[in-house]
Amino acid sequence: MTSGTQIAPTPILPVAPRISGRRRLHKLGWNVLGVIVLVVMVFPVYWMVATAFKPGQKILSYTPQWIPTSPTLSNFRDAINQPFFWDAVKNSVIVVTVVVALSVTLAFLAALALAKFRFYGRKGFIVLILGVQMVPLAALIIPLYILMSRLHQVDKLTGVIAMYLTFVLPFTVWTMRGFLLGIPKDLEEAAMVDGATRFGAFVRILLPLVGPGLVATSIFAFIQAWNEFIIAYVFLHTPQKQTLMVWLASFTTLRGTDWGPLMAGATLCAIPVVVFFLLVQRRIAFGLTSGAVRG
Amino acid sequence: MSRLAPEGAALSSVAESEFALASRRRRRLTRQRLGHAAAPYALLAPAAVAIGVILGYPMYLLVRMSFEKYGLFELIRHQGKWVGTANYAQIFHDSEFWRVLLRTALFTVVNVTLTMVLGTGIALLLLQVSRWLRIALTTGLVLVWSIPVIVAVDIWRWMVDYEFGVANWSLQHLHVGNFVRHDWFANPWTGFGVITALIVWGAIPFITITIYAALAQVPQELLEAAAIDGARPWRIFREVTMPLLMPIFVILTSLSIIWDFQVFQQIWVMLDGRPTSDYYTMAIYAFHQSFQISEYGLGAAIAVVMVLFMFGATLVYLRQMLRAGEIR
Amino acid sequence: MKVRFLVVAVLAAMLAIAATTASGGTSKAQAGKIVVWLQNDAQNGWPEAVALANRNFKAQHPDVDVDVQYQTWGNHLQKFDAGLAGGDAPDVIELGNTEMTKYMAAGAFKTLTQSAFPNNKTWLQGLKNSSQYNGKLYGVPYYAGARAVIYRKDQYKGAGIKSTPKSLAQFVADGKKLMKKYGKDSGYSAVYFPGKYWYYAMSFVYDYGGKIAVRSGSKWKGTLNSPRALAALNQVASIAKSLSRASKTTDEANPQQALVFSKGKVGSFVGNGWEWPYALDAKLGNPALEPVVGAYPMPSHTPGKFMPTFLGGSDLAVPVTTKNQSLAVDWIKAFTSTASESEIAKAGNIANTTKLLAFNASNPKLAPFARAAKESWFVPTSPNWANVENANVLQNMLVKIFTGRASVKAAATSASSQITRILNTGA
Repeated sequence: MTSGTQIAPTPILPVAPRISGRRRLHKLGWNVLGVIVLVVMVFPVYWMVATAFKPGQKILSYTPQWIPTSPTLSNFRDAINQPFFWDAVKNSVIVVTVVVALSVTLAFLAALALAKFRFYGRKGFIVLILGVQMVPLAALIIPLYILMSRLHQVDKLTGVIAMYLTFVLPFTVWTMRGFLLGIPKDLEEAAMVDGATRFGAFVRILLPLVGPGLVATSIFAFIQAWNEFIIAYVFLHTPQKQTLMVWLASFTTLRGTDWGPLMAGATLCAIPVVVFFLLVQRRIAFGLTSGAVRG
Repeated sequence: MSRLAPEGAALSSVAESEFALASRRRRRLTRQRLGHAAAPYALLAPAAVAIGVILGYPMYLLVRMSFEKYGLFELIRHQGKWVGTANYAQIFHDSEFWRVLLRTALFTVVNVTLTMVLGTGIALLLLQVSRWLRIALTTGLVLVWSIPVIVAVDIWRWMVDYEFGVANWSLQHLHVGNFVRHDWFANPWTGFGVITALIVWGAIPFITITIYAALAQVPQELLEAAAIDGARPWRIFREVTMPLLMPIFVILTSLSIIWDFQVFQQIWVMLDGRPTSDYYTMAIYAFHQSFQISEYGLGAAIAVVMVLFMFGATLVYLRQMLRAGEIR
Repeated sequence: MKVRFLVVAVLAAMLAIAATTASGGTSKAQAGKIVVWLQNDAQNGWPEAVALANRNFKAQHPDVDVDVQYQTWGNHLQKFDAGLAGGDAPDVIELGNTEMTKYMAAGAFKTLTQSAFPNNKTWLQGLKNSSQYNGKLYGVPYYAGARAVIYRKDQYKGAGIKSTPKSLAQFVADGKKLMKKYGKDSGYSAVYFPGKYWYYAMSFVYDYGGKIAVRSGSKWKGTLNSPRALAALNQVASIAKSLSRASKTTDEANPQQALVFSKGKVGSFVGNGWEWPYALDAKLGNPALEPVVGAYPMPSHTPGKFMPTFLGGSDLAVPVTTKNQSLAVDWIKAFTSTASESEIAKAGNIANTTKLLAFNASNPKLAPFARAAKESWFVPTSPNWANVENANVLQNMLVKIFTGRASVKAAATSASSQITRILNTGA
């Protein structure tokens, strides 16, 4: 930890200067490997989408149909016509918006305290947020339910939001703290030279620098809140109040799984996550501009 | 420098770190001393209150339950019967528990190792490939990440389906062996193989994207300087990149341990909610005791033991993290 | 810019919370509403029966709303337990008949008066038994399902089988003929018999005069290792080995056996009444099989008799947490009326009353199942039975036998001692 190693923000993705012949060959090798990884990773997702477009009888078939030759939208129609689809969409959007906004805000504040201050109880808190994540959810359901029913929060979105928030917070606080630690003290101090208050310095200097951290944690919070099932299933009773994951589960009955509509529904549920990611992706992967480093 | 400060001595280290600052700054801080001392608590308060209110009381209930006989009868009457450490004694005398614990530990080690190695590998690969492929790969990773666990399990369960699975068909037609009606779950080893593949597949995007973001923070100068010194890529990675990534590695590894140790949905849904006892992991064991056998006290005790065990398993990381995460 | 985003986000969050809290406030449980939990089979299979019950109930109580919430079999008890713990379980709940005893014994339900319900003198005895504990009635029979052999007429004919088998020996011989004719396809099963299909396997045990467990005094004893049960299990193992190529580790629902059947590589399988039309379903199954599918009750090892079938089914109960007991009872009355039960029977089930068995018998697609229901067996009525099911004791035993990881005798002996332990101690 060499103090005073001031490194100016640098272009982020290691640039590839001087492309020689050998390097190009190397690159080709890496690209081939990359394509293989891509195919392996994406295949299950492809299989989901392809299934969503296949008519029911073609889905269960002894010879897999790699590409839906007679694509149909009927699975999507079935999925959307399943009762309470739009209620579920609305509820999921509300839950996710609130959880993301609150968790990112609270996590940023808490992470500031943990990363930039030295105070009594700091380590205790870090251990606590680690410990909180170790409690298996299955064991917590009954105690949580007892609390929530005392607070009259069963069958209410607010109750579910509160629970999601606490499950997401430890991770978001932690990640955000990591990103804040990555910012050298010198940058903050530079701000203070300008006569800014400490808080002003945080806001003006740190906030833009932790952009990627904010995005990463918000994606995490988004996905957690969007995809959670057990809490939503146990705590939300009224069909009009259920979220998309509970709605999705209704495709599995004693009579087996209705694969086509399930996969169509799953595809629909995945779209918002992808859109959200695309909206914020410049910050996280392709355009990381924060070159602030641990010196 | 403050890394060297003794841990726990909050007051003295505040003084120490303050002392090291420029005099201009010290003046400011003296003036704002009071505000400064309260600031971290104010910042922490909202998150702490949220966690404290929603999780504090249930955690207390959980621990209390672990010392009680808490079956269906007690559940309906909202009143457990104090039995002291009987639940714990019962667990520790159950050979099934030790088998499950060992199985879960092994399972966690394999999954975390595979996840971290492959996740880091792909992150490094992202730095090497062409731009178009990088975009395609990142998008692909996010696609994978966006699949809800309950759906992911269904997709995989179906790919390895005994009758109609695309996996059996492909392996058969690639002449890997006789995979016509191959039953992946008849043998717990191949069954856990499928589950591991599913979990690692699902975990890679988060690990890769986080490490990639962290890699992007590594100063180019350092890498170039090392390259000029004639260091080979592997050495650069080991001696420049790795140390810089250490904090994030520690975080990701401990999180992966915590998550994989608690794996539930993937095994539960993959085996139709009826896993045979060969497939019991700790979380399933706790769920089984709680919801299926209706011994909520026992289930709570298992959960408490799980937490303690995970604390033990991550202790090394925890210490390192507390140290590595010191304020500079 | 970031700051502005953050401020906007926080504001939006607060607004949203305010909005949800406001809307959440109106939905508190009032006396003007009862909540009913049914399994989603009703939602997909017999929605008319539910609608009819709601209409009749509404006519009786115009100011009370019925909120029917559909649950899934995999998780509904988890949710019910939570509701009991929090004191806000529904007013009416459907439970599988094997799930009842545990909850009745723990005092989860209100006692009911039998004479208050329609057709209470003609309830199916099997279902009625599952609704009673220590001589008190805690549930109302809802519907039952019985299994019969669903088969391909064309394949039977193709293999030279003249008529449906009248004895187990003939059933096995016919299976061998089918395997000889069609079994060259390595995916073909003359009798599709997946490894965890314990409802079918245990039918053999009861047919051979065995039992899962017997009670003497207050003690239970697992008896799957009795000579009769062992003979039955050996027969099961031999059928699974020689006539079935189904997965040894899955159950009858995953993949859904009727849909596997519809793909053509299955000569026969043992299924519920609704599985016949399901195999012909236009979207998932194969409607072209319509003329060549038939069903007959599973024959016994005693020639001329039928093998007892597991009487699966559901009961309706009123949880102790309810504040609307009389309304709950009125809704159950409406839902188990002859008119509603007829709708349920039409969907391929067996109604809760023997009065409607004639209705089933008059329909050729339901008759074999109604006939099969006359000889039935049921699980041991111990409060701890649900724990045996949840510990998958029988499935584990069958998987061990089917995969050859243990001999029939070893697997049955270990399962028996497990059953003895769980039934007597609960764990």
